[in-house]
Amino acid sequence: MQRFIFLSTIVYLLLLAGLVTLRGELIALAIPFLLYLLYGFYNAPEIPLLKIERRLSSEKAAPGSDILIRIIIENNGSDIEELYLEDQLSPNLSIRIGSSRHLIRLPRNSTQTVSYTLAGPRGAYTFESVSIEARDMLGLIGHKVSVLAQGQLFVFPDVRRLKSISIRPRKTRVYAGQIPARAGGTGTEFFGVREYQPGDSPRSVNWHVTARHAEALFANEFQQERVADVGIVLDARERANLFHETHSIFEHSVTAAAAIADAFISQGNRVGLLIYGSYLSWTLPGYGKIQREKILRSLARAVPGVSSVFEGLEHLSSRMFPPESQIVLVSSLVHDDLNIVVQLRARGYQVLVVSPDPIKFESSLLPPSKDVELASRIIRMERDLLIKRLKRAGVQVIEWDVSKPFDQAVGPALMRPHSQSIAYRRMS
Amino acid sequence: MTSIALFVSMFLSVGSMYWGYFHAGFELASRWILFIGIFWIFSQWRHWNWVSSFVLFGFVIFSAAGLIFGFDFSWMMAGSVFALVAWDLTDFRRRLRFSAIDDDTLGMERRHLARLTLLTLIGLTLVSLALFLQIKFTFEWGVFLVIVAVFGLVQLIGWFRRQIK
Repeated sequence: MQRFIFLSTIVYLLLLAGLVTLRGELIALAIPFLLYLLYGFYNAPEIPLLKIERRLSSEKAAPGSDILIRIIIENNGSDIEELYLEDQLSPNLSIRIGSSRHLIRLPRNSTQTVSYTLAGPRGAYTFESVSIEARDMLGLIGHKVSVLAQGQLFVFPDVRRLKSISIRPRKTRVYAGQIPARAGGTGTEFFGVREYQPGDSPRSVNWHVTARHAEALFANEFQQERVADVGIVLDARERANLFHETHSIFEHSVTAAAAIADAFISQGNRVGLLIYGSYLSWTLPGYGKIQREKILRSLARAVPGVSSVFEGLEHLSSRMFPPESQIVLVSSLVHDDLNIVVQLRARGYQVLVVSPDPIKFESSLLPPSKDVELASRIIRMERDLLIKRLKRAGVQVIEWDVSKPFDQAVGPALMRPHSQSIAYRRMS
Repeated sequence: MTSIALFVSMFLSVGSMYWGYFHAGFELASRWILFIGIFWIFSQWRHWNWVSSFVLFGFVIFSAAGLIFGFDFSWMMAGSVFALVAWDLTDFRRRLRFSAIDDDTLGMERRHLARLTLLTLIGLTLVSLALFLQIKFTFEWGVFLVIVAVFGLVQLIGWFRRQIK
């Protein structure tokens, strides 16, 4: 019951009792209550006219890092004796210093700033409004309003630095980069020997071959190095990510995708990101720091989801990626993914699968027992078979034991050239 | 500061009411008042704020009953008024819990207590004045109060109906 209703009831009961019993003392007893009530009504606040502005110390943050939120409240209406304000926050965000709830006094035409510090895990958070309740000093009458104070915070995934990733897509772009282009020209890696042409550096003359052919000079040719198109596919299907009640391997997949995207962009490549979950979230390919930012924002928003349409990877259309480019699939893999990945390879894409190991992840969460061990062995055999088939189809697969940091566990393997690529080089 | 004022007003309220009833020879009722008072203090320690409303309502009924039976007016009045003060401070203490460390809580407490004290003093003065002047409870006063009571009840019922809608 509201306080003024309760108090009014007491006053009227005393008045009625006084009238019924014809005793003035009972009416006199009601005087302090009546005075209290009248004072409350007299000082009742008007509907608050507030202007609220929200300022964040940064709109981008690393997981767990502190962000200072400042809320500036300007009172354009009458005096407010008690102003209770509560900032509406996502339940994932935790307050480190201060409080999102404040009780302040705000005189007419005054401004007050309240602040607090929060931190949170990876995610994209939007701040919509601040709940306000203006009350009189006795707390009898209040007005509740919600004032718009928008803001946005991106907590980016932890980006592990990788030195380089060795890929050899069939097609590269025209700009100079670090990816071997399967064409002779200027570069660092030996490509072949051809007849010396005017303009070639005398240093490039291959004297061993020239000695065997008296009629002409021969020069070494190096492989051109260019930038490439890279499409990163992050598997956000819940069936591929959620294990053992609420534990998800998805955070590890996001970490992997962030590290890979960062490495490719740093090498100057054109990188796009497709998040394959309850829907397709496509970050169009691009270069440079802005693209890095766009990808990290998409990764911050990424959540695993369920969809009957995107249950399998069959909607991973080849139209999304330039022909014969590099595709990096970050997925813990499920058995029916085999055909789709092999089909991509058959269409001429170079496919690299970075797979966080779901068996080690899940078994670490389960209590050790013979049943768990047996089940792990069976699933391990199935997974090994799946990976073997993928490798046989020419897909590069790198497994990641998520108990180790990504850059340490997978970095060296990513730097090594793929055996298929080496075989290709030997043939050529 | 608020907690001290709250407990002082609770002690004054329970003490006045107890003494009023005890002085009039109603020992059983005074023991009940004491028991209610102990429970009230316990409830404040446990932060059961709703208890204050029940105690205020109960003490107003005790005061009214005491006045009907002709007990000493000042003790009955003090019991009710300090119960009202304690009821107010209970809610104020609850509201203060929403404040942050950097809010001017001390200033708010100071202002609230000052105004509440002033209101209490004015209320008691008005009551004393009314009793001193011994305003006769005439027919005209009765009609006026009936009109005020009916008007208030209509407003109250209207408010309830709006709430239900």
